Order: sequence, then C-alpha cells, then structure tokens
Amino acid sequence: MQRIKRQSLIGIASIIVAAVLMFAIIPTWVSSPSNVRNIVLSPLFWPYILSGLTVLIGLGLVVTGFFTTDPVEPEQPAISGGYGRLGILAAIMTLTMFALPRLGMVWTSMLIFAATAFLIRTSHPRAAIICAITVPLVLYGFFAHVASVAIPQGNYVRLP
Amino acid sequence: MKFAKFGAVGALVFGLATAAAAEYPERPVNMIIPFGAGGATDISARTIAEPLGKVVGKPLIMANVTGAGGATGSVAAMNAKPDGYTMLFTRVGSHSVNPAMKATLPYTLDDFRYVTVYEINPFACAVAADSDINSMDDLVARAREGGVSFSSSGVGSGLHLGGVMVMDAFGVEDPLNQVTHIPMDGGGAAATAVLAGTATFLCTNSSALASFVSNGQLKPLMVTTSEPVVGFDAPTAADLGKPELEQLVGWTGIAGPKDLPDEVAAKWGEWMQAAAGDEEFVSRMEAVGSIIDVMSPEEANDFIRTQYNTFKDLVDRLGMRIEG
Amino acid sequence: MSFLDSIAAGLSLVGNFEAFAALFVGVLIGTIAGAIPGMSATMAVALTLPFTFAMEAVPAILLLLGVYKGGIFGGCIPAILIKTPGTPASSATVLDGYPMAEKGQAGKALGMALWASCTADLISNLSLILFAGWLASFALNFGPPEFFTLILFSLTIIAGVSGNSLLKGALSAMLGLLLATVGLDLVYGTNRLTFGDPNLMGGLNFIAVLIGLFAMPEVMSMVWDPKPHEGKARGLGSDSVTFGEYKRCFRTIVRGSFIGVFLGSIPGIGAAPAAFLSYSEARRKSPNKANFGKGEVEGVAASEAGNNGVAGATLIPLLALGVPGDVITAIIIGAFMIHGLQPGPMMFVLNKDLIYGLFIGLIVSSFFLFFIGSLAIRLFKYVADIPRGVLFPGVLVLCIYGVFAVNNNIFDVGVMFVMGWVGYVMLRNDIPAAPFLIAFILGPLLENNFRQAMLMSGNSPEILFRGPITWFFWFLTLLTVAAIIRAGIRATRSMRSKPGAG
Repeated sequence: MQRIKRQSLIGIASIIVAAVLMFAIIPTWVSSPSNVRNIVLSPLFWPYILSGLTVLIGLGLVVTGFFTTDPVEPEQPAISGGYGRLGILAAIMTLTMFALPRLGMVWTSMLIFAATAFLIRTSHPRAAIICAITVPLVLYGFFAHVASVAIPQGNYVRLP
Repeated sequence: MKFAKFGAVGALVFGLATAAAAEYPERPVNMIIPFGAGGATDISARTIAEPLGKVVGKPLIMANVTGAGGATGSVAAMNAKPDGYTMLFTRVGSHSVNPAMKATLPYTLDDFRYVTVYEINPFACAVAADSDINSMDDLVARAREGGVSFSSSGVGSGLHLGGVMVMDAFGVEDPLNQVTHIPMDGGGAAATAVLAGTATFLCTNSSALASFVSNGQLKPLMVTTSEPVVGFDAPTAADLGKPELEQLVGWTGIAGPKDLPDEVAAKWGEWMQAAAGDEEFVSRMEAVGSIIDVMSPEEANDFIRTQYNTFKDLVDRLGMRIEG
Repeated sequence: MSFLDSIAAGLSLVGNFEAFAALFVGVLIGTIAGAIPGMSATMAVALTLPFTFAMEAVPAILLLLGVYKGGIFGGCIPAILIKTPGTPASSATVLDGYPMAEKGQAGKALGMALWASCTADLISNLSLILFAGWLASFALNFGPPEFFTLILFSLTIIAGVSGNSLLKGALSAMLGLLLATVGLDLVYGTNRLTFGDPNLMGGLNFIAVLIGLFAMPEVMSMVWDPKPHEGKARGLGSDSVTFGEYKRCFRTIVRGSFIGVFLGSIPGIGAAPAAFLSYSEARRKSPNKANFGKGEVEGVAASEAGNNGVAGATLIPLLALGVPGDVITAIIIGAFMIHGLQPGPMMFVLNKDLIYGLFIGLIVSSFFLFFIGSLAIRLFKYVADIPRGVLFPGVLVLCIYGVFAVNNNIFDVGVMFVMGWVGYVMLRNDIPAAPFLIAFILGPLLENNFRQAMLMSGNSPEILFRGPITWFFWFLTLLTVAAIIRAGIRATRSMRSKPGAG
C-alpha cells in the first residue's frame, strides 16, 4: 500500500481530536443549565457545531490527501539532536512555570536566557552571557519602575 | 548550584525582612483591580490611589487582573500571602452579586477581609429618549404585556441582578421569563444596546449613564438612592414606594486575603479615612456621580454582607442561581 | 457660530505650546510602548491617564490620543523585526513584514509601514471631521443581527490568508474558534472547557495566544535546527521605501484606510479585524497575489493602513454618541468625564471650541506621527543586526515579561508556551496561523451576537434578515463564498490538466 500522505494524516488527527471533544470533553466540561429553552441558545450548541465542522474538514483533508497529485513531500531531513533539543526546551519552559513565582521573574529570566542561548549553540557566548544578565535587569527596571507593573519578585532576593 | 546560592543569599535578605516587618509597609503594595482599564472600578481605584499613596508612604502598584466578571483578579488576591502587600479592589459585581448568583464561583465572601468601602454609586434605570415609556409605571405595564428586554454587562453583573430586582419589586410576576435579559460585552455595550434599541431598558450605575442622560439620549426613570441624583430628572425608589430598592447600589472597596493581620486592617482603616478627605479626590468622584462615604472595616463587612443577603434571598426566591 | 469661527475658537484652545507638547509627548510614549510586545496601546493609555488628571482638558485628551495613535503604529516595529506583534492590531503586519525582514528588507518594510500608517491616519482623521455625525447615526443601526452578518462576512477573509490550502486554513480557523469558547458562557454564565481552573474562567488571554502563536515557533525552529541561521546577520537592506512603491500601493492604502474608518466607526470591532480585512482585500485585488505572505510590501501597506484607519474613526462614536468603540476609547471617555465633559451630541453644541480644538490637534498628530515614527524606525531597525544566537533568547525573555504585564498573571506565560508548541506543530505541517488568530478574535463576537439576536427575537431566525444592512452583508458573504468556491474549482482543474506536475 502506498505510503499515507501527510495531509491525510493531519485529517485523521483532526477527526480524532474532534471526536474526543464531542464524546469526552464537551459533555464533561461544558455545563448547560437544565432550564435552557431553546437548543440554539444552549452553551453546548456552538462547541458541538464547531466539532462537527472540524470532522468535515478532517474528512476533506483525508480525501484530498489521497487524491492529490502532489508527490509525497520530501521529509525534512532529520536533524541530529533536533528532537532532543526541543525536549530540553520543553523542560526549560516547564521549569520556568515552576520557578517564576518562587525565584522571581528576573532571576528566572537570566537562567532561561543563558540556557536557550547555549541550546541554540550561540556563536557569541560572551555576548550571550552579558545579555543574559543585563536584559532581564533592564526589562525589570522598565516594567517595574516606568510602567509600574508588579513583576513577580519571588521568595528570595528582592530587587528595589 | 546557582539555585543554592540564590537560596543562601535570599534567606539572609528574607531574614532581615521578617525582622523589620514590624513597620508595615516597608515596600510597595500591590493593588489588584479585578476589572479592565477604563471601567468604573478602574477609574475609582486610580483616583483614590493618588491621595492614598501619599498617606501610605510607599508606592501603590496598580495591577489590572481582568476576566470572568472580576473572578480572576479576586482569586489572585485570595491566594496571595496575607501580609498586606497584596490588596484587592472589591466591587458590587465581584463581591456581592457574583457570590449570590454563582454556585461555581471559586471564592466566597469569607475568603476576604474587607478593610473599607469608600465609594457608593446610586443605580438608575433608563430607557431610550425616543421611547414612549415615560415612567416606571409605563415600563411595568409594558413588561406585563411581554416583549420588554433589558441589557446588562454580563451574567452575574450588578446590571443583570438590578434589572430583575427592579421588575420584581414593582410586582412583575416571574420576571425571569416575563422580561428578556440580553447580556452584552461590558457596561459600555449595555448602554449602547438601549441606545440602539436592542434592549428596552437597563439599570446601572448613575455614573455610567450620566453623559447619556445629560445629552438627552437616554431617559432616566428612577434612581435608587434616598436623595435625588443631580442631573437625573427622575423620582427616587422611595418616592415610588419601593424603599427596599435602596439596597441596589454600586460600591467600591478594598479587601485583603482572609488571614490579613488585625494591625494591617486597622492601618488601612486609618489610611482610608485620611485619604478620602482629599478634596480633589472627592470632587473628582462626585463629578461622576458617586457619593464618598468611608466605612471602617467592621462597617464595610456589615454593609457587604447585608447587600449580599438581600441579593441571595432574591436569587433563591426566583431560582436565578447558576449551578453549572 | 460659523465654521470659520469654530476653527478660530478651536485654534485658540490648541494654539499654545502646552497642547502641542502634550500631543508630541503622547505620540512618543505611544510609539515606544507599542514597540514593546505586551505593552499594548491600551496599557500605555491606561498608564498615562492618571497624569492627565492635573492637566487642562484639551492637552489631557490630546496626550491620550497621541499615545493611542503612537501605540497603534509602534506595534508594527516588533511585528516586522521579530515576528512579535506589539499590539494585536499589528498581527496582520507580521504576514508580510517578517518575511521581508528575513530577506533583509526590514528598512523597506518599516518605511512602508510608516507611510501607510500616516496616510491612513490622516484619512481617518479627515473622515472623523467630515462624516462624524453621519457615520455615528449609521453605527447606531448596528444591533446584534447586523453585527452577526458583518462578522460572518469578515470570517471569509480566512480564505485570503490561508496560503496554499484552503482546507488547512479552515482547520486552523476551527482550532481558533474552539479555543475561543473557553471561559464563561455569555448567556448562562456557566463554565465552558475551564477544567475547573479559575484562571481559565476569563478565557485565554488574547495577547498570550497571539505571541505564543507567532513568536514562540520561531524560537523553536531555531532550537530544532540552529545551524543554518548561525552567525547570519540579516542586514537592513535598502533604507527607505521608494516613492514608486508608495504610489503602487496607494490604492491599497486608501482602500485599507476606508475599511479601517468603516469598521472603526462601529463600536465593538477593533483594529485587528480591520487590518486583516484590508490585507485580504489587497491580496484579492493585487497583481502580485502570489507574492503575498512571502514578503510583499503591499501586504505591509494594507495591514498598517487598515489598523491606523481605525484610530481616528473610533473617535466618531465616542464624540458623536458618547459610546466607546473599544477599550482604549473607554479609557479616554474616562478622561473626558474627569474633566467634567460629557461626550455626546450635546458636546457639539456646548463645547464646540473644544471639539474643533481636538480636530486640529488630530490633524497635527498625523505629522507628529510621521516625524517620531521615522526616528523610531532609525533606532529600532538595528535590532535586525543583532546576531540570532543572542536575539532569540532575548525575544523569549521579552515575551515572558510582556505577556505577564498584560494581565499581571503568570498563568498567561504558560498559555503563551503551550500556544507556542501548538504554533510550532502547525508551522511544521504548513498549517497557516493567521486564520487561527482571526477566528479566535471573531469567534466569540459571532457566537455572542448570534445568541443576543436570538434572545431579542425569542428564537426566531427571521431577525437575522431584518433590514438592508443585514441583506447587504448576506449578499457580500454569498458573493465571496461563491468566488472562493470558483477559485477552488479552477485550481483543482488546472492541477488535473497537467498531471504529474504541481
């Protein structure tokens, strides 16, 4: 059998997502009061319509994906370590969410800056380190003192 | 490693900080405004911030945390450390109508410690100027026939409850089905809806209606204070024999998380007394139709709970509670 | 009072140093604030408001208007340079502005954005002065049924920004519409898809979604494959846009300006849809259709004309009716009230001098905008020279600060990260992001106005056809959909006729 084309895969994925929405997520997480007089006004109406349309579009993608005369797109050449680096970025982001309220935004940003700069193998490591320290401080100065935004300070070191 | 170093330095600074905490406040105070910029709460908050900041002696950092009719900002304040460095501006919608109407609200009145209510806004009901409704009696008669609607700034807003409460007080039976509620996106849109004929009437803060009334675009039918409101050629609720509607007023206050220490609450009481005497503040707020009346923490608590109970009774009696 | 007398009276109000200084400072603050992602024009106006309390009425309002206009323009600078729209209104500018910067034409894109912005601003101000009364009474004819049909029509612009595959564009739009349903239900106040989290009750923050969708995927692509970009500076390219190019885009700019004026004078639409509508119209009419989305200068012109066209026109409902068209004008109304002025029809009678003073100030503001804008471009375009190994981590950190500042909520930073991954998956699969964004903006408006109309009529769908405005938009929608289907069939045929190719 011919290799399934990417477009069809996207179509299948969107049908699955829509089905999960329709049969699991919407019934559980969209609550509708019992006294709704007309189905059109129900909070459920619009989400169901949208899920239904998504299924139709998904079917369209599957069908056109099978019949399209486009050659199978050349896969992007695998880049060594690409997925690994994306995984690290995801980890950095998760840690960020954990650290922001505890360490404070300034210190967390310095760590993020340094970490991502090395993740993308910067060719200017020295400049990156200097910026990693100064950029968050400058931004803090601007947001906290000029725009008077309450930048999270964390539990440890407070900046003036 | 870096983490540990921060921790060590931090512990030192933190230790110093707690030692000196006797003198509250020793750093800027975060003031959460749970509604968007430009709204009644925001204007009120930013106007009081000026004299209040001077009295407090440390900067007050105003932070709009908007969403879900004030719930997002209120939750942020509820979960903050009760050290007096995060305070919340409370408002009729977020702290008496919403708790009375919504079963699913992620907070209750008991999650906060109210330090003051400083501004009261009378409610007024109005219809479009070209409407042939000229009095509350006309409106009620029309409502009994059916086909009357009112606009609000959303479900669970003061405007929503206000419209129902007024209809109920004037003896319209089953007001939830007899009168159609059309929720709009915010207070400005609610007034526009009446102007454009989308809805028949609305009941909202007099400040939100003042310019429409003075421009002859909307016709006021009633105000809910015991005294007539300047610029509103309309009878008071008491004149119309419905003094119970005097509970229907907008207000703005300040609260902290529920474990706020007594001395912090007491300090806020003093500060508010001093700040609200500021002449410029008073004249500015009166220019938008508000009444400045600073309540002590105890008075504020009683005031909010009385209003909440009135609303709660109405909601329970009519079955307006939102359960989902 | 005759027209000339009014102008003279107005001049006497603005004809002093203070008024012009306030206007100048306002435009300056606005441009800087707009250029910082997360510091939207709204926030800048809100922050400036307390400073105006102590000022005279005219300088105070001119200061705020200056901030507003500067902010709307300033948003295009980061949109072009780092694919991060400074304000939601400039998201359409990303579509062609960023590819131009990638090609080393940042200077040209910024120059065109400035020319288009100032032209549109001037047209918008003139429309305000000439048509305020007429447009305002027209805008009041817009109830929920009219809005519903207008927004339904606006959704057809999705076809214009879908790129190669209409189906993928539609899929992207569906995702946007679905995500926009998160939050409290309008009519019943119940929770929808909030998963019990109070942070989701207010819905997803628009700016967090916007920045997540556009800026974050760039960082991720860089992480995926650091090599090809390494050490490559993009350069500025030719500094300025030529007069020939301006002339070529002039029709587009004028069309965009009037789209902006029209949508701006109707309360509740805002600048972002205007920019997208102007963009998609320009693409439909342009001979360079194929180049749109790949760095076409006309696309930048269209988008910036659309969003700046709104800026003057939102004052039409404000001054003529006292109705705020968006959040920014709601704040400006606050400033009027603080000074004891009540915008509305009576103001044209009672405070005629003030109105004309504001008009004169507005006209001058277009020129200030041009002057300050060209300075800002000269300063900011050096961002294009920063090596990417330093620029991208900086963008990441800047976005974290900016997204937090919008609503003072750390949760929004998480929303931005998650949307970043969604955007990255879409990017890898050639699913365009712009339809997602348009749908995310228009979806709630469509649903809410539909339900409001149903409430008004007691569930009778006839109300959706209640008058000439609704008929007009139904007609336009049908026409556009027919055109899209025809174009789709033609594309399929041409593909079939040359088998093996394409």
